[in-house]
Amino acid sequence: MFASAGISGTVGRAFLLVGFIGAVFGAFAAFTGARRNDPQIIRLIPRFSTLSFAAAVGAFAAMEYAMITRDFSLAYVQKVGSWSTPALYNFAAVWSALEGSILMWVLVLAGYTAAVSFWVRKRMQDLIASWALGVMFVVSAFFFLVSFFPANPFAAGAPGVLDGPGPNPLLQNHILVMFHPPILYLGYVGVTVPFAFAIAALITGRVGEGWLVATRRWSLFAWGFLTFGIALGSWWSYEVLGWSGVWAWDPVENASLLPWITGTAYIHSVLVQERRGMLRVWNISLLVATFSLTILGTFLTRSGVLNSVHAFSESSIGSWFLGLFAVVLVVSIGLIGWRGDKLRSPGVIDSPLSREAAFLANNVLFAVFAFVVLLGTVFPLIIEALQNRQIAVGAPFFDKLSMPIGLALLTLMAIAPVLPWRKASTETLRQRLFWPAWCGVAALVASLLLGAYGLAPLLTFTLGGVSAGAAMRQVVLATRRQGWRGLVGRANGGMIVHLGVILIAVALGASNSFSKSQELSLVANVEASFSGHTFELKDVIEVRDDRSISVKALVLVDGKKIYAPAITKYTRIGMNVGTPSVRTSLTTDIYLTLEPPVRQDANEARIKVFIKPMIIWLWIGTALMAVGTVLAAFPGRRRKPTDATSAPVEVAAS
Amino acid sequence: MKTRRSVWLAMFLLVAVLLVFGSTRTGGPQTQQDRIDSLTAVLACPTCSGESVFVSRAVAAESIRAEVARQVSAGLRTDEQILSYIEQRFGGEVLLVPRATGVDALVWALPVAALVFSIFLLYSAFTKWRGNKPESPTSDDEQIVARALNTKTDEQ
Repeated sequence: MFASAGISGTVGRAFLLVGFIGAVFGAFAAFTGARRNDPQIIRLIPRFSTLSFAAAVGAFAAMEYAMITRDFSLAYVQKVGSWSTPALYNFAAVWSALEGSILMWVLVLAGYTAAVSFWVRKRMQDLIASWALGVMFVVSAFFFLVSFFPANPFAAGAPGVLDGPGPNPLLQNHILVMFHPPILYLGYVGVTVPFAFAIAALITGRVGEGWLVATRRWSLFAWGFLTFGIALGSWWSYEVLGWSGVWAWDPVENASLLPWITGTAYIHSVLVQERRGMLRVWNISLLVATFSLTILGTFLTRSGVLNSVHAFSESSIGSWFLGLFAVVLVVSIGLIGWRGDKLRSPGVIDSPLSREAAFLANNVLFAVFAFVVLLGTVFPLIIEALQNRQIAVGAPFFDKLSMPIGLALLTLMAIAPVLPWRKASTETLRQRLFWPAWCGVAALVASLLLGAYGLAPLLTFTLGGVSAGAAMRQVVLATRRQGWRGLVGRANGGMIVHLGVILIAVALGASNSFSKSQELSLVANVEASFSGHTFELKDVIEVRDDRSISVKALVLVDGKKIYAPAITKYTRIGMNVGTPSVRTSLTTDIYLTLEPPVRQDANEARIKVFIKPMIIWLWIGTALMAVGTVLAAFPGRRRKPTDATSAPVEVAAS
Repeated sequence: MKTRRSVWLAMFLLVAVLLVFGSTRTGGPQTQQDRIDSLTAVLACPTCSGESVFVSRAVAAESIRAEVARQVSAGLRTDEQILSYIEQRFGGEVLLVPRATGVDALVWALPVAALVFSIFLLYSAFTKWRGNKPESPTSDDEQIVARALNTKTDEQ
């Protein structure tokens, strides 16, 4: 198996072995050095993280080399490689199936480990850093091992294969496949960093606020990339899959959403710990939950126990991930139990009407949300185990339950930003919410004038208006007082993120409730109309390349521009893939798909038209969230250490 | 601040009236296409678990979609009847939404239970915190402070 693989296979596998050894030695050095408090040993740690990272880069490069040179001696290249795949998609083909995606995980994780050891290089004597790096080395070693054994991308394939099918057609017709997986992985794998520091804090017993402040930016970085990666996935789904939706609640999507939910809960509740020293057990639990949900999600979606459009073929890696998941849980819960006395918080929350109580309510909602998503995802497994019966839990279930949770979160987003720490009177609240509330009324009136109807969307728009008002109030007050500095820092950057979230909520509310669709049978040069727009079939054409045969319907929309929804047959795989064509504007998207069966010579075609309001605001909202995250990562104006903790950082409320 | 309070009251009334008005009006009659889309959205695609017939572009989903379209345009059956007809014709569990009977009901009940439980936890935490509040200083405390202040002044 080893010998018959080509040169890149041998080299790649050797790199994986070197990386594994580097990680094991690194873990050993970090743990021994930290336990004995021995600077000589601790000094070695960065070398091992550099070694591991270099080996991971080497292995990944070997895989790219094999893919680019179409080295069909490798089973993996036989599976996803093809001479006919264009260079860009061929480059991305490396992470288009199980083994390659684990290899990318290895690369990102080794990169994070190297980055963290560079970051702490001057503070290496701080034992918390050594312990944290030790944890990261252990996780890295696990992934090197998974990539070396059960998910080996360098395994030799059957002899005599000269060409392959190429990646799944859905993964070779849109540029976003280049970006969505790596960015998502930067977030998904990045949560390992705060997790490692949490474990290190438990081991050293220094569970005070220090390590939280220290790792705040790493958490934010991972969370930002997770958010951005998920949004890019939605965008890809919209542009490629042809059902006009952005989120299907399939198991792999849920697997990326779960750590996002607990991570979002964490970046809120950690503020309570920084400010008041409370919720320590809870925050550590959230980090443990976030990390273990990435492992559980990988188990669920990569082991073949659940199937979905993303799910890769079955393999034995399931038991590996389940094992890691169990170890993470047992170790973390054991450590939390052991350090229980140190974790007990000194303070109390004085009033349910306070900033910290709002964060608590936020955490309850996010915890319930995570529970709903997890339950829905694994429920078919539970039923199968109990009653040996197949059921499906799909989008209608998740939609129904996430809607009230989303509305409750919007309500909280409206009130929480104006709440002071410790305690608020209803009088304060009435004053501070006055203008935000009028924003809500304005949003409601505007949406009614535009013809909106239905309780849920109207509530969404109203609450969105109040929340936007509350967020704007904070930003305006902060910038009036501090100039441009009023835009940076976590409170102000956070408000920009909130504005992005509100845009997304409103856009989802509008597009889910007020979309219209119609199938039209078009005859050439005869105008058909739907929902105030006209559609005229100009021609049906066929486009061939070495991969595929596409049939495109050229449809003139509103007499202005031609759009060309297509159905492409990938000849090697024998799979038909529809490609939508979308007219985007600030108010409404017109989304066209060509419906089968199609004949190229025909002068008629069946198309489906979706009229979807406000879709573009999903992407604008995402961009705003990204901007806000970057702003939040900059240090904001801090409270003077001598001030009372209850003193406001920003401007005192009028 | 009396006026503010009445302004708030008026605002709430206005919002309530507008919401009632907005939630009673509709966006026009349901078209056949709307019916097809909402029916296929609750049907599971048989070859791709987790996706609905509405979402999936698989061949099996395509044929169910065509069948639903035929039934809807024939106009003889209600939504319920169409769903059970599809279930008969294509066999197996076709619904994408768990039923609210038997063990399946747990998937609906557990989230509600989780919410109630966590609200209860929050409530009991707040009651505990309220009980923990530092009490007003006793005469002993005041004496200690007074003594400390005295020693300080003595030293100066």
